[in-house]
Parts: sequence; structure tokens; C-alpha cells
Amino acid sequence: MRIRGISSFQNNDPLYIVDGTPVQDSYINFLNPEDIQSIQVLKDASAASIYGSRASNGVIVIETTKSGPVGPPRATLRVRTGIASPTRGLDDMLLTNSLDYFQVMKATYANAGQLASMPKTYGDPNNPTVPNYTYADAPAILSTDAYGRVVTVDPSKYSYPNTLIEPASAGTDWWKAVFSSAPVSDYNLDVRGGGDANAYAVSFNYFDQQGTAAYNDYRRGSVRVNTSFNRSKFNFGENIALTVDRHVGGTGTFDDASGENGVLGKDILLQPIVSVYDISGVNFAGAKGVPGVNSSNPLKNAWDAKDNINKDNQVFGNVFAGFDLNPQFSLKSRLGFNLQQNSFAGFGAPTPQNNEAQLGNSINENNFNSTDWTLSNTARYVKTIHSASLDLLVGQEANAGTNRYLQGSINNLLNTGLDSRYIQDALGDPTTKNVFSSGGRTALLSFFGKAGLNFADKYVASFTLRKDGSSNLGPAHRWGTFPAVGLGWRISNEPFLSNNRIFSDVMLRYGWGRTGNQNIPSGRIVSQFGGDRGDTFYDITGSNTTIQPGFRQASLGNPDLKWESNKSTNIGTDLVLFNGVLNVVLDVYNRLTDNLLFDPRTPATAGIASPPIVNIGKMSNKGYDFSVGHTGSWWNASLNGSHYANKIVSIDGVQTQFFGPIGTRIGNSTINMVGQPIGSFYGFIADGFFRDAADVTAHALQDGAAPGRIKFRDVNGDGVINSSDQTIIGSPHPKFTAGIDLGAHRGQWDASATIFGTYGNKIFENQMDFYVFQDFSSNVVKDRLANSWTPQNLNAKYPRLDITDTYSGAISSYYVKDGSYTRLRSMQVGYTLPSGARYLPGARVYLQGENLFTKTNYDGLDPAIPAGNFTGAAGDTRDQAMGVDVGVYPTNRIFSIGIVTSF
Amino acid sequence: MATVSKKSLLRGMAVTILATAVLYGCKDFLSTASEPQGTLDATTLANRTGVEGSLIAAYRTLDCTDATSGNWGCAVSNWVFGSVAADDSYKGSSSTDQPPINDIEGYHWGTPSADTYLNQKWVIVYEGVVRANSTLRLLKQVVAASPTEYSPTEANQVAGEAIFLRAHYHFEAYRMWGNIPYYREDDQDFRKPNIESAAVITEILKDLDSAIKLLPTSPRNGQVGRADQWTAKAYRGRVLVYAHQWPAAVTQLKEVQANGPYALETSFDRVWSAYQDASNGPETIFAYQASSNDGEPNAANANYGERLNFPYSPSHFACCGFDPPSQNLVNQFKVDPVSGLPLSITAPATWNSDESDFAAGDMTPVDPRLDWTVGRDGVPFKDWGNFTNAWVREVVNAGLYMPKKIIHEKGSGAESTVGWQPQQQSSINIHIYRYADLLLMLAEAEVETGDLAGATAIVNQIRTRAGVFAQGPGTSRADMAIPINDPRITWAHYQIGLYPVFPDVATARTAVQTERRLELAMEGQRLFDLRRYGTFIPVITGYLRGVGGGREDTRKAYKLTAELPTARHRWYAIPLDQIQLSQVGGQDMLKQNTGW
Repeated sequence: MRIRGISSFQNNDPLYIVDGTPVQDSYINFLNPEDIQSIQVLKDASAASIYGSRASNGVIVIETTKSGPVGPPRATLRVRTGIASPTRGLDDMLLTNSLDYFQVMKATYANAGQLASMPKTYGDPNNPTVPNYTYADAPAILSTDAYGRVVTVDPSKYSYPNTLIEPASAGTDWWKAVFSSAPVSDYNLDVRGGGDANAYAVSFNYFDQQGTAAYNDYRRGSVRVNTSFNRSKFNFGENIALTVDRHVGGTGTFDDASGENGVLGKDILLQPIVSVYDISGVNFAGAKGVPGVNSSNPLKNAWDAKDNINKDNQVFGNVFAGFDLNPQFSLKSRLGFNLQQNSFAGFGAPTPQNNEAQLGNSINENNFNSTDWTLSNTARYVKTIHSASLDLLVGQEANAGTNRYLQGSINNLLNTGLDSRYIQDALGDPTTKNVFSSGGRTALLSFFGKAGLNFADKYVASFTLRKDGSSNLGPAHRWGTFPAVGLGWRISNEPFLSNNRIFSDVMLRYGWGRTGNQNIPSGRIVSQFGGDRGDTFYDITGSNTTIQPGFRQASLGNPDLKWESNKSTNIGTDLVLFNGVLNVVLDVYNRLTDNLLFDPRTPATAGIASPPIVNIGKMSNKGYDFSVGHTGSWWNASLNGSHYANKIVSIDGVQTQFFGPIGTRIGNSTINMVGQPIGSFYGFIADGFFRDAADVTAHALQDGAAPGRIKFRDVNGDGVINSSDQTIIGSPHPKFTAGIDLGAHRGQWDASATIFGTYGNKIFENQMDFYVFQDFSSNVVKDRLANSWTPQNLNAKYPRLDITDTYSGAISSYYVKDGSYTRLRSMQVGYTLPSGARYLPGARVYLQGENLFTKTNYDGLDPAIPAGNFTGAAGDTRDQAMGVDVGVYPTNRIFSIGIVTSF
Repeated sequence: MATVSKKSLLRGMAVTILATAVLYGCKDFLSTASEPQGTLDATTLANRTGVEGSLIAAYRTLDCTDATSGNWGCAVSNWVFGSVAADDSYKGSSSTDQPPINDIEGYHWGTPSADTYLNQKWVIVYEGVVRANSTLRLLKQVVAASPTEYSPTEANQVAGEAIFLRAHYHFEAYRMWGNIPYYREDDQDFRKPNIESAAVITEILKDLDSAIKLLPTSPRNGQVGRADQWTAKAYRGRVLVYAHQWPAAVTQLKEVQANGPYALETSFDRVWSAYQDASNGPETIFAYQASSNDGEPNAANANYGERLNFPYSPSHFACCGFDPPSQNLVNQFKVDPVSGLPLSITAPATWNSDESDFAAGDMTPVDPRLDWTVGRDGVPFKDWGNFTNAWVREVVNAGLYMPKKIIHEKGSGAESTVGWQPQQQSSINIHIYRYADLLLMLAEAEVETGDLAGATAIVNQIRTRAGVFAQGPGTSRADMAIPINDPRITWAHYQIGLYPVFPDVATARTAVQTERRLELAMEGQRLFDLRRYGTFIPVITGYLRGVGGGREDTRKAYKLTAELPTARHRWYAIPLDQIQLSQVGGQDMLKQNTGW
């Protein structure tokens, strides 16, 4: 979730305020969506600044259901169940027939004049056949043919894992082998009620989504208890949610940072000739003996990880007490807390059937605990005199967090059963046992005040001042001051616009404010030293089996660390037109981040210690948001749109660029460059293919230039293609995003739909490295052969197939694709059963479809690319690697049926 | 009733507010939480433990230090920059695997891809310099603050080791880039301009002279991984040879030869061996002390940088098929059936004409070192059974052979049990400088100073040792190395002859250079040797376009797109990344080498 662009090189998550308690979290999975009563996104600094520290990236205020109507308990049951299936599969893109693959391979070798060196897997290149077996260990081989292929085997010699027999496949559809549709269900029960002096809401939720990838399951259960009590002038209560979630299996939403180690990558990398199972029909087959394939069977991968379990337990909530002295003056105290525990236990299985066989097993587990509390005390004074009102708020807030992480591993378990997967000397090889722990601490202290003025509902003003202290910053610079002003003028209340037929209500708004950011790892104000057995320890005695301890500087501290500040100006208007026929909200903003917290690289001559974090960069975001809505008697519609333009104004005054965090087989495709948006794509400009030898000669000197290969532009015109010709080749940032919400109800029927679109953003289709450029003899796209360059097909989609072409796959605009799409995110049709029917309470039943339809020109698997998980020494750096397709699980299309009933 | 509870509530509220007020008053609230967790601070290390630990860390950078990714660019053996970029080996593997090496092998050293590898090497040599300099600073601080921590003698010895390491790391940078910046412990400005290569040599020699004065004559604490005075003297000789300061080099190297603790191993199989009893033998001057199963979970100390260079599946090692010896190198080992001298000397027009797989059973006479250097079809692979061509990853890129020196013996027990693909990791030490290397440098210097008899004696000494043992059947340690004429050898005909005294300087030069290629093949020295000889351009042009009746651009089609070396290949390109990071006020402080 990003609000109004990206303000920093790292850590751009917004601040969530859940029932008054702040939490910075990328996913906020612990909230049951059904518990949410309201969500308010504070984009404008004048509104957000009361949350001062940490409000730089916007604030999302979430209130959960507080109470029910006065009266006896009222229960609402919501049940939804459905089927999810991927919107698109790789088998829609890639070859699934072995002999088709052979034809691609043959052209790849033949075009390079290397047919003689081609592996003989398919026998005679002019009369290719799928072999009986791709591999058998020597004891099982009875006969081989002239090409060295195993023809007959003795199945009785088969023994896993020592003597393997791997039958060849005429064509394995690896997508279908791993992915299928899977059930989703969601159950909610809430009970609410209350009396004059109390109110309560209790809810239970259970959510279960089986993975569309084999052997994956996600389950979440939560309980929420919200209560409040009044006792004369006092009120007090609590809001607490307990959430437990379990993710079983090896896959997440994001495959992995290199695009080849997860199930999706392996699905691309494995050729169709590899079978799913070996001759036993029980054990998985692998690519052993298939030349060039280094990957492993994705279904085996999923199976091996089927007992991997990721557990999250969380208690989040607050207790509060208030005192209303009189209608004007009130006090409130709130203690918020967030206790989190996350653990993981995983298994690494042997892979004897792979070319790069792993022979041993291993287990690893980790445990992360964090405790975070926030105590806030506020006093409020509200006074109305005639048509003017004053609203004063002063307060104080203290926040502290600690966390601790512990991980361990051991290899070569004697028994790999689930009951034996523990890290103990006797259970595995004790010499491989390894443990590690780490931790962090932070504290924040704040004082704030806000004054709101309203004159005749015509002139509105608010003034905020906040002082925040952070333990992450230098002792002399811990405190930051964050002021904000908001001004509003309701013109429609002026005489000249009163009773205007067009403008029923017109509010003009201006806001200015400064917010802060101190979200960097703790403890970076002093230099840190450390060591690691793989980095600083050394066998100085020449024993070949023992190492002596060594130390080095691990990071450079900066005692002058101070707050990053974000100045933002907002001009907006709220319009109600034609007596409420149309509601329009329009905002234009300009945000400038200054003293940006960042760790600019130092030259290697200063060593590999993490460079100091300094307040040095500048980043700008300008844009607009709008929404237009209509609420009619039986239908409503709204359109919202937004645009932002992000620009790096300065990095450190010296550097003009630095690379993003992504590193794949082809290198790093994103860069942060002054004057450009964060995480822009960077490489050569591809200018089609070399037409012929004359074209090669005429072009600037380019390594490996040959007809049919990609021609790179000589950007600096020096006659040589080299590093200096790399340039910005695209931006992952959309020019415009839009959402449309539609709703209608007629009699017992209702219907709604949500459409989302993003336009002008580019995707760097990194997976082309595999399915176009055949890295590691990967499987390829279906039209790789038909649409390849040949002297007769000069305007082909793909370069010439050529085993010696290691040049065309360099990072270039050839990988950059239009990532725009429009997607029907959800559509629902409901019918409300009349209440009062005998034996049946009133109920609404509905049918829902999600992600039913997508319109895009992107030819990769799915244009909706979530941000990856990247962390640098200064924190979360995912915003520097947006829009890079390194294998993303395609969005699921979900059909479900639901019922909501109250009793 | 109501008033009572009201009072207690009020009291509760008051307590809360009071507690908050305590927080306000408590300045420690923020500062306590600012302490870094789980790290060491400078004070903890300001003592003997800290100094020794810092020095150990400075040794550790002899190999790349970080096991997580991309370590091949800074492998201790320099196989990418010294072997693949010369005529010893190909990149191997798949054409698209590790693309930076494609560009380095193709002499396209200015590409963004090549830059990443060059940058790794630069980063790690300067990390070595930084660690050596940190040790020297910390030592000064500790000696000043607590004089009892070190005796003056021992403090000098520690300083000597650190200064020696600093010289070594700068020399590594010098061999790569020539014109580099030189950093000592008091330097504060990390954006210093680079200095001319000749000035770099002066600085290195200055440090080696200091180290020689400070170091003890045997390794401190008896720990063989440490540099001592003889290491520094031997190294000084090496640098003098690189600097073409021939008379000084002869003097220095002869002193080591005459009085130093070094000798050739009795037989060649012991030179590259993972058996503990063969490790750090008399031939070791300075080596990376590898360790396996030392408790480190990723086998980071077990030659992480060399791990790619093992035979592929279905061999025991299973990965990754890099650095396979070239056909040209294999042909280099063929000898004249009469004299037993290298065919390249006796038949310069035809020695390299054999295009086919040189497999077991071909009885063309060969130097026995071939089968300690190259894995080839049907020949026992140390004690791992017979090598087969099926162990080559992709013939189209990799040819038919695989490297052998860095392969640990099965019986050595040196193989790792942890890490990704532990079969390709072992504790075999990687030579940085061995005595045969020193002797051949002495021979080189003797040729240049006209002592042809001395040079002949050294070459023949090396050849005599090479003729002791050849690869045997390898069913056990006992028959892994056997006399070269042993009847159990059925796969090859081994022969090695001695030179008569070199008649003239030109003949002597060729013989010494050829001997050096044979003796140190695949040890990452070749490119730097060719540069020193001044023959890099003609030798590599011949390698690619034709020499001795064979050319690599027909053997390996991808080599057709290689750039022919020119004057700019005198030095590697300084990493563009580092040039950009060196900017001060918009000006590059590091100056790129000519032509890049």
C-alpha cells in the first residue's frame, strides 16, 4: 500500500492507526476484513500530521466495529465458499510437447553451425524421437542405442535414491502438474449488543484458502472482543483481536528474487521431456541426464515443502479510559499493544534425480517475537460560541518496541519424519548444527497539540504542532518539530453562491504540513563491529578443519542522524453538484522529502562495512487524486483516479545514481537516478535486430553483433556500445490509476462491481531470460521458433535462435513491456430473502466472482506484479524494484457463493 | 456508591498520568533504546583479542569473504581473470550461465556485465587492505593505551604480518589494473586518485621491506597460515620479477633459494592435495588455508570461489562445469617422442594441430603433469574412478576436459558435509605462491641477466620432479600416484625429458615460459605471466586465430566474436562503479586505464 507516491528510498509503508493504536506493517494481515467498520485514508499532511512521526507515507485510520444496537445480543453469520483458479497458466505460454522443444533446440544449434555438438537426447536430428529414458544409473541399463540413449532397462535394479530410472515424457505440462483450482472458504460470526452503559461486539473468523499450487494451504482464525462502558463521566473499554494464521507449504505470493528457485521458476525451467514421476510411479522424476537443465521438478519441490509451516500469532489492541468533565472538556488515555510471534519450520529434501543433485537433507527453523506498546494521553476542549466553534487537543504519546529473532538449522537427519524434525545433536549431524539470534529496540516520545476553528461553517482552520523524539536518531537530533495548517472555505455558504442550482455545496481546502520519518534500523548512530565464521574467521593454523575468530567493522555509525522530513502542500475541493446528484472531490498535491535517510554507497577503498546512514537525499512527488460519485435511488456509481509523478531530486550531492536491490541471472535492471523516478529500468535501448552483415558493419561496434541478434543503440554516439550507452528504459510507475465502483438494488435484488485499472506503467519481464533466451536450457514460449528472426522474417518478435548468442539477452528495452491493465476485480449479485418466513431468519444470499476479466497487452503471466521482499542495511527497499516480473503467482479467479444472516 | 467508584476511577487516571509524567522526565527512555543489539563496540575490541581478530579477518580476505553470492569474480585462484581470460581454459558450463565470464573470455572487458566481476575483485582486494590497515591502527591504539598487551617484539611481528598482507592485496590489484590507489593505515580520504603502475611497485616494495624487517623468521605462534620473513622475501622477489628489476630479483630469489625453508614436493601429486599430511608442505610459500566442516554452515571457508570448477552430473560432484581446460592447453602437454621435450618447442608448427578428444588409450607421449592438471575421458580422476566426457556440462561451450588440481581426493576426507552441493567444496589449500613458481621466476630473471646455465638447472629440476609420479589407477591412496613407467598405466604414455643447457637467451626464454605454463597450468597465473613477458597480444591472437596448427575460434564457435587483444588489454578496465564512487565535486578521482 502506497499513498501518493514514494517518499523515501526505503520503508514506505503507511502508518495504520487501528482503533487509535499506531502500527507500521506491510500487510496488516491480522485484521479480519469483516471487523472493519471504517477506513479513512489521510493523504494530506494537514490531516495526517497529528500522527506526526511516521506519518510521512500517509496515515490509514481504521476503526473496528465498536458496538451493537442497544438491546439483546444480535448475531450475524456470514459464510462464503468458493473455488479459486489462476487467471492464466504458464501452459498458455510455454511449449508442452517434447518434439516441439527439440525443433527449437535444433534450430538453436544449427543456426550456430554447431549441430554436431548438440546433445543426442532426441537421436537423429533429422528423424528425432523421444527416447525411452532420459537417464538410468549404470546397473539398471540393459541396452543403449547409437546415440548413447538408454533403450532398455532392468526395472528390478531400480532403487531410490541409488539406482534411478527416469522415463522420458512425450510432453509434460508442468503447469498442470502443479497448479489446479482450489477451494476458498470464509466464516464469520459476530455477536453485538449492549445497554445504556455498555456496548460490546465479539466476532469470530475462520478463513481457509487452499493454494492453487499443490500442497499449499493458508488458514487464519481470529477472535475480536470490543467493549466499552460508561459510568457517569467516565468511559472505558478495550478493543482486542487475537489472530492466528498458518501457512502450510512452500510458496508465497512472490516466487523468489531470482525468478528460478520457486515453484513457478521451476515450472518455466523444466523441459517437457522430463517426466513427473520416475519408473516407480511413486518417486518424483528429475532432469538428471537432460543436458543443460539445472532445475528440479516443481511438484517434488512443492511436495518436499508440504510440511513447511509458517505460523503467525498476534495479539493487537488497546485499553482506554476517558473522563468527560463537562461537554467542553474531556481526557482520554489509551494503552495500545501489539504482541507478535512468527515462526517457521522448513525442510530441505535430497534431490538425487537432479543434474545438480543434493544428497543430504536439512531442516531450519526460526522464531521472531516482538512487543510494541503505545501509551497516549490526550485532553480535549470543545467550545461553541454562537456560530463559531473551537476544538483544542493536547496530548502526549510514548511508544517502545523490542524484538528478538532466533534461527537454527541442522543437516542430515537420520529420520526425516515430521516427528524427528528437531535441532538436536542425536537427530542429525551435530557438526552441521547452527544457531543465530538477533534483536532490535526502538522508542518514540511525542507531544502534540491541535487547534480547530470553525466560523459559521464557512471558514474552517486547523493548526497542528507536534514534537517527536526517536531513539533511532543522534542524541543531539532526536527531536523533530512537525507543524501543519489546514484552511477551508465553504464558498457555498457565501451569499453569492447560496441556492445555486449547480453548486449545492462547495468547499475549498488548502493544507500544508511537515511530517517525519525515522524508520531505519535501530542502533545506527554508533559504529558496529562483528564477525562471521564465513567472513572473518580463518584457519590460520592450517588444520583444514578449525577456524580462529576474526572481527571487522560491520557498519559505520552516524551520531548526527536526524529526522527525515516531508513537506507537503495540498489544494483541494469538495463539491456537491445538482443537489446531490454528483459528489466530486479533487485534490492536487506537492510533496518534497528532504534530509532523506539513506545509506549512500562508499568506495570499495573504504571497505565493505555498511556505509553510514545519512540525511542526504531529496525526493519529490506531485500529483492529483479525484473522485466523482453519484448516488441515485436504485443505483450508485463512483469513479476515482489518481496520478503521481515521482522524482529523485538529489541522492547525496555527489552520486547521480545507484542500482536497486534486484539481482537476477542477467543482472540488476533497476536504478535510482537523479531526475528520474525511483526504481526506473536501466539498460540498453534495443533497436530491433541486425538485418544483415552490412547492417552490422554500419552500426556502432557492438560485442557479438550478428544478423538476427538484437541491435543496441549507440546512445552517446561514440561508435562503441558499452556501459556508457545504458540509459533509462522505462518506469514502473503508472501514469494513472483508476477505480470504478458500481452498485444497484431493485426489490430483493442487488448487484455491485469493482473495476481497477492502471495505465502507463512498464513491466520488466525478467522471465524472458528463460522462456525467450533459454537460460539454463529452459523451456520456451510456444511461438519461439515460428516468430524468430530469420533472413526471411526480418521483423520477427524474437531474435534468431543461436546457441552462441550470449549477447542479445543483455538488459535492454527488449524486456520492457507495457504493464497497463484493466481488471474487473469483483462482481456480486445478491438476493435478500424476506425475513419473517417460518423457521428461517432473514438472509441475503449472493454470488460473487473475482478477477473475472482482465484486459492487458502484457504477454507475461499476469500484469499485477506485487512488490518483492527486499531489505537493505537501511531497511525495506522494495520500492526500488517495482514492476520486475521474476515469477509472480497469477491472480486467482474466484467464484463463490455466500450467505449473510442475522438472528 | 457512585462517588466511591468515581473516586477510584479518578485515582486510576491520576496514576496513569503520573506514570506518563515519569516517562517525560526520564531522559533515558530514548537513549536506552538507542543501543545497538547483538553487535560489538570499539571498546570491547581495544585489546589483544581485538587486534588478533582483526588480523585474522585480514587473512580471511585471501579468498572472497561472503558466501551468499557471486564469489567467482574474487576466487583466490583468479581462475576467471588468470586462466579463462588467457589460453588455459574456457568458461565452460552453459552459454548463458555467469554471463560476465563470457565477456571476460571474449576480451570485452568494458561491458556492464564484465564490470560486475571486475568490481567484485576490486572490492575484495581493497577490503583486504582495509582490514590490514584497521589492524595496524588498532595495534597502535592498544600498544599506546595498554603496553602490557604486547611485547614490543610481538607488536612488531603483528605489524609485519598486516603490512605484508597489505602489500599482497595491493599486488593483486596491481596485477589486475596496474594503475591503482595505494592505502596505508593513516589514510582518511577513500577517494584518492590512482597512481602510475611503476609508483605502485615502489609502494609495494616499500611495504615488503618494512615487513621483512618486522617479521620473525618462522610463522608466529607456529601457525603455518601466517606470513613470516621468508614469505615476505619470496614475495619481494616475485614483485621484482614483475617489475623487471632483474638483478635485484635474482639476488632476492637466490637468497630464498639458498637459505629459505622451502623445497619442491617430492612428487607432483602432493602439490595439489587435500590430504592433511600433504597440506602446507615444503613447497607452500603462501596459501589460502581452506577449511571444511569447521562449523560454518555454508562451507564458506571450503573454497567457495573454486566450487564451480567441478565436473557436472552424473559425476559425484554434480556441478558446475566451469573452467574446463582448453584444447590448446591439452596439446601443450604433448612431448617429442625422442627428446621428451615439449612438442611446442620441437615442432612449433604442428604441436597444436590435434583437434580430437585426447582420451585414454591414445599413446601419444605426454608430460605426466597433464593427468594431474586435466580430467580427460577414460583416465582415472585422482581416486574418483575414470573421468568420462559425460561429466562435461555442455560440450559446445566446455569442450571435453575438466580441471583437476583443485579436486580433493576421495580418500582425503576433506569434502564438506554442509552447504549447497557440498561435494564440490573441500579444504584443499589454494596456492597463492609456491616454490616451483618462485624457482621459475628465478629462472626467468636468470635468463634476463644472462645466467642460462642457472635457468636450465631450474627448469630441469622442475621437470625431474614432474617425472617422478604419474596418475595411477587410484583405487586407493597407495596407487593414486605411481612411477610414470609403471605397467599399471594403460591409458597413456608418459615421458619427460631434460633440456641441454640453453644455447641462447631466446631459446631459454621460450623454454622457461613453456615450463611455467606446464607447471602452473590452471593456477590462475597465465594471463599475468603473459602480460609480464609482454607477449599477451601475440599469444592470445595465436590462441584464437591459429598457432602450432590449431585455432580456438574454430574449436569453439563462440570465440569468433571474441575481440582480438590490443594495447588496451594491457590492464583490466577499472570498475566503472568504483570510478563513479570516487567522484569528488563531479570529478572522477580514479582515472580509467587507457582504452577503456
